Amino acid sequence: MDKKLRVKNFLDNTPRIDLQIRLIAGEGGLNREIRVGDINRPGLTLAGFYDFFAYDRIQIFGLGETAYMRQLPPGDRQKAYEKFFSYEVLCCVFTHDEQPDEDFCRYADKSNVPVMVTTRDTTRFISLLIHFLDEIFAPSVTMHATLVDVFGVGVLILGQSGVGKSECALELIERSHRLVADDMVEIIKVDESLLMGSGTPLLRHHMEIRGLGIINVREIFGIRSVRNRKRIEMVAMLEEWDSNVEYDRLGLDDKKYTILDIDIPYITIPVRPGRNIPIILETAALNQRLKKLGVHSAQELDRRIQEWIKTENHNK
Amino acid sequence: MIEKEVVVKSDAGVHARPAMMLVREAMKFPCQVALVKDGVEADCKSIMSVLGLAIVSGTRLKVRADGDREEEIVDIIVAMIESGFNLN
Repeated sequence: MDKKLRVKNFLDNTPRIDLQIRLIAGEGGLNREIRVGDINRPGLTLAGFYDFFAYDRIQIFGLGETAYMRQLPPGDRQKAYEKFFSYEVLCCVFTHDEQPDEDFCRYADKSNVPVMVTTRDTTRFISLLIHFLDEIFAPSVTMHATLVDVFGVGVLILGQSGVGKSECALELIERSHRLVADDMVEIIKVDESLLMGSGTPLLRHHMEIRGLGIINVREIFGIRSVRNRKRIEMVAMLEEWDSNVEYDRLGLDDKKYTILDIDIPYITIPVRPGRNIPIILETAALNQRLKKLGVHSAQELDRRIQEWIKTENHNK
Repeated sequence: MIEKEVVVKSDAGVHARPAMMLVREAMKFPCQVALVKDGVEADCKSIMSVLGLAIVSGTRLKVRADGDREEEIVDIIVAMIESGFNLN
């Protein structure tokens, strides 16, 4: 799949972040690739200071820039445009629904620099754009796993193929939880502390269940059984029960699983006939929510026991 | 770990049936088997993973296996892909 970001992608109506922009000139440059997630305000450049001109970034023209261009005497304006477009400018966006003059558009058409207009104000547009770009340029990884929203906690289920990840997800869906992706999860690091998981567009909300084949979860269980993306807050590893392995019996120590340098709370669940994994995962998700609120069941019980031992010793 | 490269030639790419053929072969082996496209790794024992790679004609794939009988399965998978799955 083409992962490159091109100028034309800004004009796609992505339902998540709608930049509300339209193209007015420079159609020939729509296939230009955006390589850096930064922007530039070209005020100084237009005024003639061309040192450090970051022409390969997205140029944002706010009210100041448009007003400056408008008050220039026509001759100077021509010169300014000529100089400006002599660089390989990536693309220009005008905010506040301000249209640039015809000369500007003509130069843009000639040099194939897309010119777009947004109805939003500059600050709001920049913050949305940075958000949009950050997600695209975020580090990412694709994992063989299943992601389910369990009571609002994004649980990433890992395990060898055949251990029962999909069956477990199916039971969770049946219990009114929501499937994000099965078998292949795309994970992006939106922020230093935030991992977002989603399915690949091609497979969205389909699952393979041994014996049934491929099913469409959204069609079978309805729209409430799915969601498109979810923050990953817990990792659960399903493992074949191995009597030689010591499984966690106390839960006193919190284990972590590292994805893209972010530590996520991690549990290992041994799978054995008769063990109801979905219910264990539900409980783990609720326990995780409690821990986030500062309630740590295992540690609290341990503290109570220690206090009781202390008083008993004291009363001897 | 062993890895071999192969280019998909069949016009139809890897749709559901060829994907199932690959998975069925991989399942017969105890080792881990993976297909890698543009750095994205898919478990070759999972139909959805293989389909999710969106493999079309001309796609360059790495076939990777790790564990018992790794060499055998990599050769089988490469041969299957090269033969165009004999579906016609």
